[in-house]
Amino acid sequence: MLDALARRLAAIVGPEHVTTALGDLSNYQYDGSADRALPQIVVRPGAAEEVAAAVRACDEVTFPYVARGAGTGLSGGAIPESGGAVISTARLDRILEIDADNRLAVVEPGVVNAHISQAARPYGLQFVPDPSSQAVCTIGGNVAENSGGLHCLAYGVTAHHVLGCEVVTPAGELVWLGGKTMQAPGYDLLGTFIGSEGTLGIATKIVVRLTPLHEDRRTMLAAFATVEQASQTVSDIIAGGTIPAAMEMMDQLSTQAVEEFVHAGFPTDAGAVLIVELEGLSGTLAEPAAEVETICRRNGAREVRVARDEAERERIWLGRKSAFGAMGRLGSSYYVQDGVIPRTRLPLVVGEVREIARTYGLRIANVFHAGDGNLHPLIVFDDRTPGEYERTVAAGADILRACVRHGGSISGEHGIGIEKRDCMTLQYKPADLALMARLRSAFDPRGLCNPLKIFPTSRRCGESSRTVARGTVPSEAAAAAGPPF
Amino acid sequence: MRRNELRALNLPIADELAKRSGSRPRVRPQECEPYAIAGIVPALVFSPRTLAEAAKIVSTITLEGAAISIRGGGTKRYRPPHPYAVDVVLDTARCSGILEHTPADLTVTALAGTPVAELQDALRAHGQFFPADVPFANASTIGGTLASGAAGALRHRYGAPRDNVLGMRVCLSDGSLAFTGSRVVKSVAGYDIHKLFVGAQGTLGLIGEVTLKVAPLPREEAAVVARFTSCADASAVAGRIARSPLGTLATTLHDRPSSRRIRMLGGGRDAEWSLVVRCGGTRSVVARQIDLTVSLLRQGGATGIETLDPDRVRFGWADVAEAAGGTTYPGDRFLVFSIASLPTKVAAVCASVADAFADVEQTAHPTTGMTYVHVPVEGAGDAARDVRRGLGRLETLCEREEHAMQILAAPPVLGRIEQPPLPPRAPVALMRAVKAAFDPSGTFDPGRFISGI
Repeated sequence: MLDALARRLAAIVGPEHVTTALGDLSNYQYDGSADRALPQIVVRPGAAEEVAAAVRACDEVTFPYVARGAGTGLSGGAIPESGGAVISTARLDRILEIDADNRLAVVEPGVVNAHISQAARPYGLQFVPDPSSQAVCTIGGNVAENSGGLHCLAYGVTAHHVLGCEVVTPAGELVWLGGKTMQAPGYDLLGTFIGSEGTLGIATKIVVRLTPLHEDRRTMLAAFATVEQASQTVSDIIAGGTIPAAMEMMDQLSTQAVEEFVHAGFPTDAGAVLIVELEGLSGTLAEPAAEVETICRRNGAREVRVARDEAERERIWLGRKSAFGAMGRLGSSYYVQDGVIPRTRLPLVVGEVREIARTYGLRIANVFHAGDGNLHPLIVFDDRTPGEYERTVAAGADILRACVRHGGSISGEHGIGIEKRDCMTLQYKPADLALMARLRSAFDPRGLCNPLKIFPTSRRCGESSRTVARGTVPSEAAAAAGPPF
Repeated sequence: MRRNELRALNLPIADELAKRSGSRPRVRPQECEPYAIAGIVPALVFSPRTLAEAAKIVSTITLEGAAISIRGGGTKRYRPPHPYAVDVVLDTARCSGILEHTPADLTVTALAGTPVAELQDALRAHGQFFPADVPFANASTIGGTLASGAAGALRHRYGAPRDNVLGMRVCLSDGSLAFTGSRVVKSVAGYDIHKLFVGAQGTLGLIGEVTLKVAPLPREEAAVVARFTSCADASAVAGRIARSPLGTLATTLHDRPSSRRIRMLGGGRDAEWSLVVRCGGTRSVVARQIDLTVSLLRQGGATGIETLDPDRVRFGWADVAEAAGGTTYPGDRFLVFSIASLPTKVAAVCASVADAFADVEQTAHPTTGMTYVHVPVEGAGDAARDVRRGLGRLETLCEREEHAMQILAAPPVLGRIEQPPLPPRAPVALMRAVKAAFDPSGTFDPGRFISGI
C-alpha cells in the first residue's frame, strides 16, 4: 500500500518531492521536544491544491498525516507518532501579497515568521507575534500552535493577528476560514482553528494583520534581591494601568548561566532581574518609564538601568533569548516547562517551584513572561544519570499541578501535543474534554489528521512517556544518513 | 416539514414540565408576550436562577423535542431569519452577577446574564473596562453580546470581543455543562471552543459564564471630530491615521442622518460626513494623537475640526455604539445590516448603499472596514418592496466584491428575510458538522443561523 500511495503522491507533487528513504525520513522524526517517531513517507507539496490532493490520497487509504513547518515546536505537535505521512510546508514559502493600505499580508504557511516583518518594514509595518524561534519558525506552525512571544503582553498572540486562513480540511476540501475582511459570516471556525495544533486541517494561505511600527522604545533592566519582589513589581505595574510591550523576568540561576555565555550585563548577584520594554510615540515614554522605575524602587529594586542605545538593548534581549541555550551548559540536557498562573500568584508559585526543585533534587531556573504570568521553569538534568529524566518529567508535572491549583493553565504557548496530553486531565474535567472531542469529530471524524495529539491517553501526567515509536532511528544513524533531501 | 416551521410540539402541560425541570416557566400568553421574537410569542419562558437549573431545563426540553431560543437582554430579537414559531425562550436575566475580578490579573468572571453596564461599572471602579462598544449596555447582557458576535469601533485598538474572551462555561443541548478555555490571560491548552460560541447566535449551546480579559481605562481621553463633504476623503484620512504609529482607539464615520443621532457632535451634526477619531493614553500620548490627527485632517480636506473633552467622549460614546447596528431596539422600524469590506473599500460601499435606498443612515468604521446601515421601514406595500429591492442589489454587489454582509435586524413587515448566502469557499459542510456535533438534537434555534443551519 505504501508504494501505491507513494506513486499517487509523486503524481501529485512530482517524484522529487516524495520520499520513503529511511535516511530522509529520519530528518522528520523530531521537533523541539523530547519525543521522536519516524514517518513512513514525506511529501512536500508546492501549492494549496497539492496539499488538498495529498490529504485526499491519504484519506482514501486511511493513512494518517501530520503537517510540518520548521519543526521547532516544543510539545511534539509535528511528530508523526503513529507513522503515516509528513506533509511538509517547506516549499510553500512565498509572501503572496503585502497590502499596506489595508494593513495586511497574504502568506504561505512555510514563510518564516521574521521574514514577514522584514518584508513589511519598508511600509512602516510589522507582524507583531515574535516567538523566540522567530528566525526559523514558520507562520503555519505559529497558526497551529497559536504562538506567543516576548511582546504579546501588549499586542496579543498569533490569534489576534490572523484575519483568515485558507485551509485544507480533513475531507480534502479547500475552504476559507475568515478572510481579508472582519466578520466573516457563519461560525467563527478560524478562532478555534488557530491553536488546534494541526489536528483540524492544514493552513495553506494565511492573511495576517500588520501593525504600524512604534516610534520609540525604552528598555529597562531592574535588579531585585528576590524573585518575589520582582513578581510584586510586575503586578503593581499592571494594576497601575501601564501595559508595557514586554515584561520578562529571570532568576539568579538563569542570569548566571547567561552571563557566562553572552555577557548581557545582567547583575549576577541579584536574585532576580526584570526586563521592562515600553513602546510608543516619541516623547511620550518618559512618564511611564518614571512610573515603572518608581514601582521597581518601591518594591526594593537596588538598580534600575535604562538601555542607553540600541546595542545595549540588543545585548539585554540577546541575554534573555539565550537563556534556554545557556542553561544547556549547566547540564547535559534541560527541559523547559510552560505553565500559566494569574500574575498576582507569581510570588506564591515561585516558592512552590523552589520547593519542587528541592524535593526532586534538581536544579530549576526560572525564566518568565512575567507580564502574562507565563512561567518557563527550566529543569536542568543529566540524561546519562539513570532515573534523572524520569524525575525531571515528574517535577515538571508537579509544576503544572501547582499552576492549575492556582487557577492557571498547563500551557501558555508551547502547546499540548504529545508532551502534555496526559496532563490535560489536571485542567479539564471529562465533560470539558468531551466538548473538545465533539469539535475534533466535526472536523476530522476519521481521526487521520495529526492523530493522538492533545487528548489524554491511558498514561498518567508526569509518568515518563518519551515516545520512541516504531522504527525510530537513533540520532547517530540520522546524522550518518546524510543531508536532508 | 422542518421543525422550526411548526409549533404544535405537543409540549406537556406546564406543571409537569415544571416538575421535571425543577423550574417554573411562564405560560400565560400575556406573561410570555414581552419575550416575543420578531413578534412571535413563545409557548413557555424559563428564567432559571442558576446554571444548574438552566442545564436541567435544557435537557428536559431537548427530551421533549422542542426548540429553545436563548435570550439575553432582548436587543437582537429582530435578527433574521425570524422563527416560524417559538417553543421555549430561555431567559438568562436571573443568571447574573460578577463571580471574580482580580484587577492586577486583568481578568473578570461573570455569569452570562450580567448586564454589560453593570460589568462596566464594577470594572470602572478599578480603572478598568471591557473594551467593546455595546449598544444599549443597560439592557444588553455579556452573554448575549458575545453570542451576537457584535464588535464596535474599539475593535481597531482592542480587538473584537472574541479576542478578549478567555474562557466560558457552556451548556449543551443534552444538559451537560462544560468549561472551555482558561481563567488566565494566556493559554493554549486544548481547543478554544469558547471562541466558536462567540457569534454563534446561541445556536451551539448556552453561554453560562464567561471569563474576560479587561483593559485599563486610558488615563486621558479625547476625540477629534471633523466635517467632510466627501466620504472618500474622510475614509482616506482615516486610513492614514491607521497606518501611522499614533495608536488611536477608534475611528468612526457618519453620514448626515447618522450624525444627527450623535449628540457629542454638537453643531457639526449637519455635515455631509462627520469623522470621529477617539484618542486615549497618557496625557502626552493624547496630546500627540490630537496634534497629528488634526494635521492629517487638515491635509485631507476636513473642515470644522474640533477637539472634544474626555467627559463628552466617555459619556457620548454610547451614541456612537448605537449608531453601529443598534438603532432598531426596542422597535422594529429599521432594517439594519453590516457590510465588512477591506478598509480601502469603505467609501465605495457607502456610495453603493446610498444608491440602493431612498432613505438611509450609515455609520462606517473606516479602519476596520465595517459599514453599518440603518434603513427606515415605513410599512408594508411599495415602501417595503423598495427596501427589499435595495437589499437585493447590495447582496449581489457584496457577492461580486467579496464583501461580507450580515443582516442584524429586519422588521416583520418586510416579509421573510434570510441571511445572505455564504460565499463559495466558505466551510458550509464544516459548519453543519459543528452544529450537528454540538447540538445533535437541534434544540437551539434550529434553522435560524445561516444557510439553514
